[in-house]
Amino acid sequence: MTFRLTCPVCGKRDVYEFTFGGQERGPRPGQEGLSAEDHFRWTQYRLIPYAPGEEWWYHAQGCGLWFKTTRDPATNREVEE
Amino acid sequence: MSYLRLRRLWKPSPLKRRYEVVIIGGGIHGLATAYYLARHHGIRDVAVLESQYIGFGGSGRNTAIVRANQRTVENVRLYEEGLKLWRVLTDELDYNLMFFNCGVLGLGHSEASVSAFRMLCNTHNFLGVKSELLDPQQCAEMIPGLDISDRLAFPVQAGLYHPPGGVVRHDAVVWGLAKGASAHGVHIHQGCEVQGIDTEGGRVTGVRTTLGPIGCKRLGIMAGGYGGAVAAMLGMELPIHPLTIQAMVTHPLKPFLHHVFSSGAYHVYANQTLKGEIATGAHMDPQVNYTNDATAYYLKHQAEALTELIPALRGVRFMRIWAGLADMTPDMAPIMEGNLGYDGLFLDAGWGYFGFKSGPVAGKYMAEYMATDERPAMLRAFQLKRFLENRYSGETAAAMKYGHWD
Repeated sequence: MTFRLTCPVCGKRDVYEFTFGGQERGPRPGQEGLSAEDHFRWTQYRLIPYAPGEEWWYHAQGCGLWFKTTRDPATNREVEE
Repeated sequence: MSYLRLRRLWKPSPLKRRYEVVIIGGGIHGLATAYYLARHHGIRDVAVLESQYIGFGGSGRNTAIVRANQRTVENVRLYEEGLKLWRVLTDELDYNLMFFNCGVLGLGHSEASVSAFRMLCNTHNFLGVKSELLDPQQCAEMIPGLDISDRLAFPVQAGLYHPPGGVVRHDAVVWGLAKGASAHGVHIHQGCEVQGIDTEGGRVTGVRTTLGPIGCKRLGIMAGGYGGAVAAMLGMELPIHPLTIQAMVTHPLKPFLHHVFSSGAYHVYANQTLKGEIATGAHMDPQVNYTNDATAYYLKHQAEALTELIPALRGVRFMRIWAGLADMTPDMAPIMEGNLGYDGLFLDAGWGYFGFKSGPVAGKYMAEYMATDERPAMLRAFQLKRFLENRYSGETAAAMKYGHWD
């Protein structure tokens, strides 16, 4: 089943209107002295447990807003605040 | 009438509180590893823990296609050995895995894919794996009804035919391996969900499950798409993104499609099952999740792509749709590791959508790794540290562009 995400501007819309932007993982590490290893860890390593987490989404076929929402990978659904 | 008598393929076994080896995941990878541990290495004190029923995950949700037409030398060698194992296992397990050696045809729709095919073809032939380049006319002769006209937005420009490939009955593989493992003394525990992993002094000591704690000396995480979630129990981050991939079958038709065919540009792979259904799929949802959600959106998308390539299929109805998990790594190659972070911890994950075709061969080498503690030469290319050393496998060069992760 498909599901809906809550866009802060447009409200609840079908998930296929959105582009997945990945998990929220804090600010990008500074370029100064950044090792290839640390850069790779930041871009690719993930902890994806059966628990809700904050994510970035982009309303590509809507208002064009990048926003954060909480979704649970175990249920594939947005978690209501 | 003895053929009507129902016989259990694998024995129910008592749950012991301690095993030498515990394997998380009762799919093809876990069962194959257990089977080879017992058969080749004499380690019979093995438990396979499956949270649902064996074959619940990717092992029973794939489209059963097997092939060895990968891009890189390491991968071609691994999958080629995997292909050869189907016949051996059918014999060894005394169970018909229904390997249908029908060949796999990839379609190229752009200049870039034609040159990629050329490169792939040369790699395969260099390594002694059969592959040949076909022109559109030859493709149409192999796939009746294939539209090779320039009506398509992206007309067929070439094909890469790989005769050693085909399809294998995926449930039979699960059941056959369970039968074989059980016959060698392996305990298979279904409905036993792992909820935590215990370690002590840098060693794995056991797992906590819904059926109580189980101790072990060696632990294999072979949970397919769920591997990342199991590793997360140890707080272990991995470059793995679990995504659902959807597949579907039409109602049965008279046999007309005698080969597996795939098209990267149209996001389709399809084959006709022995029952006559067209099994097709390829679409992935982009957001990480552990569900088996199938969607009407992709059902429509798949119907459009399939009927664009074979217009005669218009009006044919889809009967079932399902989804499984693909655990994607950044370079489309798996991660097979031993003593990872903790002594006795083994990881077999990141197979993406190649987990089925690689099951037995991965099990064979993981069993060797777990039994000897020495990394088999075949697995050298699949270490986790390759990412941190900027030595990605070149496998993405062969892949169709499916999404943001590649």
